[in-house]
Amino acid sequence: MSATLAHPSTVTPEMEKAQRALIDESTRVPVILFYGSAIFWLLIGTLFALLASFKMNAPTFLDQWSWLTFGRVRPAHLNAVAYGWASAAGIGTALWLMARLCRTPLRYSKLLISAAIFWNIGVLLGILGILSGDGRSIEWLEFPNYASFMLFVAFGLIAVWAILMFRFREPGHIYVSQWYLLAAFLWFPWLYSTANILLNFQPIQGGAQGAVNWWYGHNALGLWFTPIGLATAYYLIPKVLGRPIHSYYLSILGFWSLALFYSWNGMHHLIGGPFPAWLISASVVASVMMFIPVITTAINHHMTVRGNFQALKWSPTLRFTVFGAMCYTLASVQGSFMAIPSLNVVTHFTHYTVGHAHLGLYAFFTMIMFGAMYYILPRVVGWEWPSARLIRWHFWLVAIGIGMMVVVLTLGGLLQGLALLDPEITFMASLDYTKPWLFLRSVSGLLLTAGHIVFAVSFTLLLLKTGATRTEPTLFGSDQGRQPEPLNV
Amino acid sequence: MNTIVYILLAAGLVLFGGSTLAAFYWAAKSGQFRNLEAGSKSIFDGDEPVGTATDAFADKMADRPLRRGADSFRP
Repeated sequence: MSATLAHPSTVTPEMEKAQRALIDESTRVPVILFYGSAIFWLLIGTLFALLASFKMNAPTFLDQWSWLTFGRVRPAHLNAVAYGWASAAGIGTALWLMARLCRTPLRYSKLLISAAIFWNIGVLLGILGILSGDGRSIEWLEFPNYASFMLFVAFGLIAVWAILMFRFREPGHIYVSQWYLLAAFLWFPWLYSTANILLNFQPIQGGAQGAVNWWYGHNALGLWFTPIGLATAYYLIPKVLGRPIHSYYLSILGFWSLALFYSWNGMHHLIGGPFPAWLISASVVASVMMFIPVITTAINHHMTVRGNFQALKWSPTLRFTVFGAMCYTLASVQGSFMAIPSLNVVTHFTHYTVGHAHLGLYAFFTMIMFGAMYYILPRVVGWEWPSARLIRWHFWLVAIGIGMMVVVLTLGGLLQGLALLDPEITFMASLDYTKPWLFLRSVSGLLLTAGHIVFAVSFTLLLLKTGATRTEPTLFGSDQGRQPEPLNV
Repeated sequence: MNTIVYILLAAGLVLFGGSTLAAFYWAAKSGQFRNLEAGSKSIFDGDEPVGTATDAFADKMADRPLRRGADSFRP
């Protein structure tokens, strides 16, 4: 071990355990605030998703109220899940990870509590704004100015907090997860403010708006959700298995190549649009270069779990996290292929793209966040999850639900895209091809809804500390006399 | 007004791009890329050492021990 990692010989495992408990406890209020509001917005966002999906099957469903027309419900869904759920869940996870990786109790929690309040007011105002007709027709940035400003304040507070936490970290190695988290915390406020200024506050003109729109839309995934999701996987998979990451070298290479290539992405959303060809080509090349960080991550996660796949049976956290990590590879490889113009010509403007979006933000990111919540919440609340059965129901409902959704949207989207390219088929007929697939999509949405309700119940029961009293929750590390067989180290 | 906004945006670009480069330079200089295998173990400690699994369903504790095999972790 290097000198920086060596512990003074006076530090005993008991002291390390106490220190870890102290760190976990210090994150309690902000983590529960962000997680609680995330789960609230998940339920609201799911409701909008169901409404939007039903409207695809029955276009006149609830169309007598302008508030509930498709053009408002659909962006309300996107923003509720992207900012209300995914971002807040990501921030909650990142706060806890930052404290653990800085090896110090969380400081300045008032900054974070204020951020959570600003955050929720922003999302609430934004959703109400969209529903009342105040939204903007800019995908991912539909929130009106008064809402996006609130979110920016929250992002700013969190970024300042992250820098302060990092400044006061205990000396030692900076684990790969921490690189990802710092990057996310610093890149996103810049991304969000630049895109909002150029599109909403001081709008640039004409086609350039599309370029800014998709630079933001794609990098919100790549420089915000992806780093947080990967940071979580890089911490939880080794930690749950008790096995260091397969190749740490590759993980560092993955981080820096992501930093180098990802921000070039985005313009490939505009293939065929009125844009300079070099702009789109640069993005297509960068999309393909993303194979480097994606493959390094895939190799690492797979090789770390390899030989221990039976662990998925006993660890709820690992089950969700590994599912998410596998879907990260799938979504990213799919994304790189979708950027290749000859394939994009089929998938553009079809439900295939919607399937890809759900594979990324749900099957990858959301599943990893569920896994993180199963690991983190018992430790910060000091109470075991009340029911293993609820966790299993949650997993199978959402795993089958999202699997089905991605498959039906992919197949339906391909048929739709091929029909759109066929001059013999009218546009109306190309829509008929999608009908059965969209019905199945609504069914998969119901499965996801059921899963989310199960999870919300589980979360509430945990916060109420129901179930048998366990002073030493069983999910916690200490083994209660059952020391796992040691690995060959 | 427009000019001020563009100057601010350009400054932001330089600042954030520059901070990434500065972070990379600092990481290389301060030895973050040296002794990577030890770095990979920095999330473990004496209480939760390598080899200790830390999460399980409440009713699956008995199944928890990891398999010992040739394919498990190599230092």
